[in-house]
Amino acid sequence: MAPTKSGSFVVDTRPLWIILLQSSLHPILLLIGVVLYVAVLYSVSSADLDPTGQRALAVFALCVFYWVFDVLPLMITSLLAIVLLPLAGALPAKDAYALFGNEAVFFILGAFILAAAMMKSGLSNRLALVILHRFGHDPITLLRGVFVLNALMSFFMSEHAVAAMTFPIIVEILAVLHLPPERANYGKSLMLAMAWGTTIGGVATLLGGARAPLAIGILRELTGDTYSFTEWAILNIPLSVLLSVVAIYLLDVFFPVGELDISRADQAVQDRLTKMGRMTLQERVIAVVMAATVLAWITLGEQFGLANVALVAVVILFASKAVEWRDIEGYVNWGLILMYGGAITLGSALHRTGAAAWLADQTIASWATGPVSVLIFIAVAAIVLTEVMSNSAAVAIIMPLSIAVAGQFDIDPRIMAPIVAVPAGLSFMLPIGTPANALAFSSGYLRVRDLAVPGLILHVVGLVILNLMAWFYWPLLGTSP
Amino acid sequence: MSAVSQDPMSANPGILKLDLAIRGAALDDSLQSREDLFRVPPARSAVARSLDLILPGNVLVSAPVGEAFTQDSPYKLIAENDRFYLQSNGERAEVRIVAPPGYYAMKTRSGIPMWRVGRSYGPYLAINPAKRCGFSQTGSECQFCDSSTQGSDRDEPIPVDDVIDTVRAAFADGAIDFVYLHMGYVDSDDAGVQSIEPYVRAIKRNFDTLVAVQLQPPRENRWIDYIYAIGVDAISYSVQIHDAAILETLCSGRSQQVGRDRYYEALRHAATIFPNGTVWSDLIIGLEPVESTLAGIDALVEMGVLPVLSVFRPLDDTQLRDHPMPSSEDVAPVFAYMFERVRQAGINMNWVRDLSFAVTPFEARFFSDPNALDGGLGSLYRSKIGNLAVRNLSRLRRRLRVRKVNDSYGSSGL
Repeated sequence: MAPTKSGSFVVDTRPLWIILLQSSLHPILLLIGVVLYVAVLYSVSSADLDPTGQRALAVFALCVFYWVFDVLPLMITSLLAIVLLPLAGALPAKDAYALFGNEAVFFILGAFILAAAMMKSGLSNRLALVILHRFGHDPITLLRGVFVLNALMSFFMSEHAVAAMTFPIIVEILAVLHLPPERANYGKSLMLAMAWGTTIGGVATLLGGARAPLAIGILRELTGDTYSFTEWAILNIPLSVLLSVVAIYLLDVFFPVGELDISRADQAVQDRLTKMGRMTLQERVIAVVMAATVLAWITLGEQFGLANVALVAVVILFASKAVEWRDIEGYVNWGLILMYGGAITLGSALHRTGAAAWLADQTIASWATGPVSVLIFIAVAAIVLTEVMSNSAAVAIIMPLSIAVAGQFDIDPRIMAPIVAVPAGLSFMLPIGTPANALAFSSGYLRVRDLAVPGLILHVVGLVILNLMAWFYWPLLGTSP
Repeated sequence: MSAVSQDPMSANPGILKLDLAIRGAALDDSLQSREDLFRVPPARSAVARSLDLILPGNVLVSAPVGEAFTQDSPYKLIAENDRFYLQSNGERAEVRIVAPPGYYAMKTRSGIPMWRVGRSYGPYLAINPAKRCGFSQTGSECQFCDSSTQGSDRDEPIPVDDVIDTVRAAFADGAIDFVYLHMGYVDSDDAGVQSIEPYVRAIKRNFDTLVAVQLQPPRENRWIDYIYAIGVDAISYSVQIHDAAILETLCSGRSQQVGRDRYYEALRHAATIFPNGTVWSDLIIGLEPVESTLAGIDALVEMGVLPVLSVFRPLDDTQLRDHPMPSSEDVAPVFAYMFERVRQAGINMNWVRDLSFAVTPFEARFFSDPNALDGGLGSLYRSKIGNLAVRNLSRLRRRLRVRKVNDSYGSSGL
């Protein structure tokens, strides 16, 4: 029997031997990681790999294993990498810790704090309600409104935060419509619109998820190249738009809505807005700062750096007393900051020691026949990995290898950032793929099949669009394979 | 059903327990001066004002004394120096009286006599920390129940610290092995789970002991999961009467505010959450036809719940004081049936076994197969090592089965 949820506890009622087996798996996995580390350290030898590369590779093997099997929390594995690299002799301790101070890490921190301010003040919630109220007068426009709302908001704040914010609103809409979860196509559509909207919107800019800043952080650390806020957005917004059109079409095909009176849903949204009252001064200040920040990222990002712009905005928020530290503290995912610092350090160690090039040569380079197959292979690997593990970990694993393999196939390494980061964000098929999927699934409206079948189609279409973009659109903007 | 000897003073202590539980015992004059036995007023459960006796074979019984119906009992309790005898029809059997433990004379930090906080019955300390039972507050208490036992006349619950003082003193006395918390009806979704939670947590934090709890069923099953998760080792939702119509007549509160079917739903769910043999439900024999009690036993056993049988006794202060008592001839086959059904179903009888006020399936073996369960695991459970093992296994099971849900959405946002 599956675990049952109760308040803040889950009681697992499966046979004890299964639970015991599962529990004993953790120490076994921990041990396997250590064995893997030792095995790579002492058994992998090649004339092309010097001892420091071998040590970096051993740390990488251990971290990949722990990340994939979730043996330790992701951020702890990252910290382990920072500790192990100097201990193993792959990187001086000073360098390992200095890499943690990468600009990408501070950009993510700033973006988190800005998003936290929007959420805490209720500004993001108000924005969502206003848009839904404007468009939600018939079932089709409400559905598309939910999709576009989630996608657009994910342009400017973490897609996970957007999903967490809009999910309760959609639940309330469905509740007032009295749609029984098992049979309601409209419930399925709205939930998927929320999940897919945030996912697709989240790949468009550097703010939707921390994958893109991480990929750019690794790119910058390894090659010195980078992307501006605008460059990244222009590169990926068309993909996001095209994929949105396909996703909305798939929702129509798989879950036709038919006749439905949604006036009560409209009323529920209106009620929520009424309860919020007028826009507060705090919301106004945060809205102005947020708008100015986005403008600054677009116009001044290249000159001053994205992280600097973000952190200046944060300082202004605190200086104007629009937010207090205790309001923000709980909203920032500090673990993610640690995770990214460690991942960038590890990627850099692999690159500096030549381990990444060697590993790419042994794997992707030996299977791929040319730039086309390299890009397809990397994108597929990212999309598969992100369905079963953290998309950040997927980026951390693939990005250093991709940059190394780019050198071997004479591909511009810059293209590897979107080729890895975009598919790593496209998780449509499984509830575990992304928190937005998990939330949609938890509503009770969706079965795994409802996610998996249209999600698979969306994956394939996404891969095709991504590769078409890479070969035909991105070169127009100066990013060529 | 197996044939049962009808000689109460026979070597079968189960039958003697049953007969004593039904008829009680008259007290000989030789006991009247024994203040050590009556340091505090005799305990009174929902069944009778009683003295705990240990019969031959180490069978524990709470024998009614001092009730009107015990004056006509064929049993008389006699003291000769420091030895006690049960006398009936010229025959005698030596028994031991469970003397009130020393902690009864002590007070808690806030000055409450400890015997008012918790009473020890055989191996366990029974504590009702709550205010009055919700059924009695609405005038819908069970007609056989002396509501003064369900939270007495307290207006406020007993402070957790006072309960801890009492448990500590009881353990120091060596009087008990585990703690049994019980509460009457609480009109809320959780049926009092959150009210009893601080006591459970405090006891678990301070003592290495098992905790059993008896409540009314909560409205949602998640509270059953919750109470297991916070440390309760055994749970009881006592339906008392299987026949729905009789339950409605005699226990309108249970019938209307909880509903008989809800008792069974809750018990069925609890049996999937708690270890085998740690979920039990009381049925009272003598208030409904025997066939109905048998059907109740079947219903409980089929869902993996341990039935525990109490024999109805008409208490002086209750609405059923004139209701006829069942005879031991009527009820003995029911005990035998209960034992056989539980044994066939493979429900562990060792967790809930020595209850002075009721007959457990473990004790009911005397009515079917007296030598069953001798030695083996049954003995192990009561040994010090066995008890230690049980406590630790219980803890390990909870550790394996219960996981905290991390509600932080952000933490999954990687």
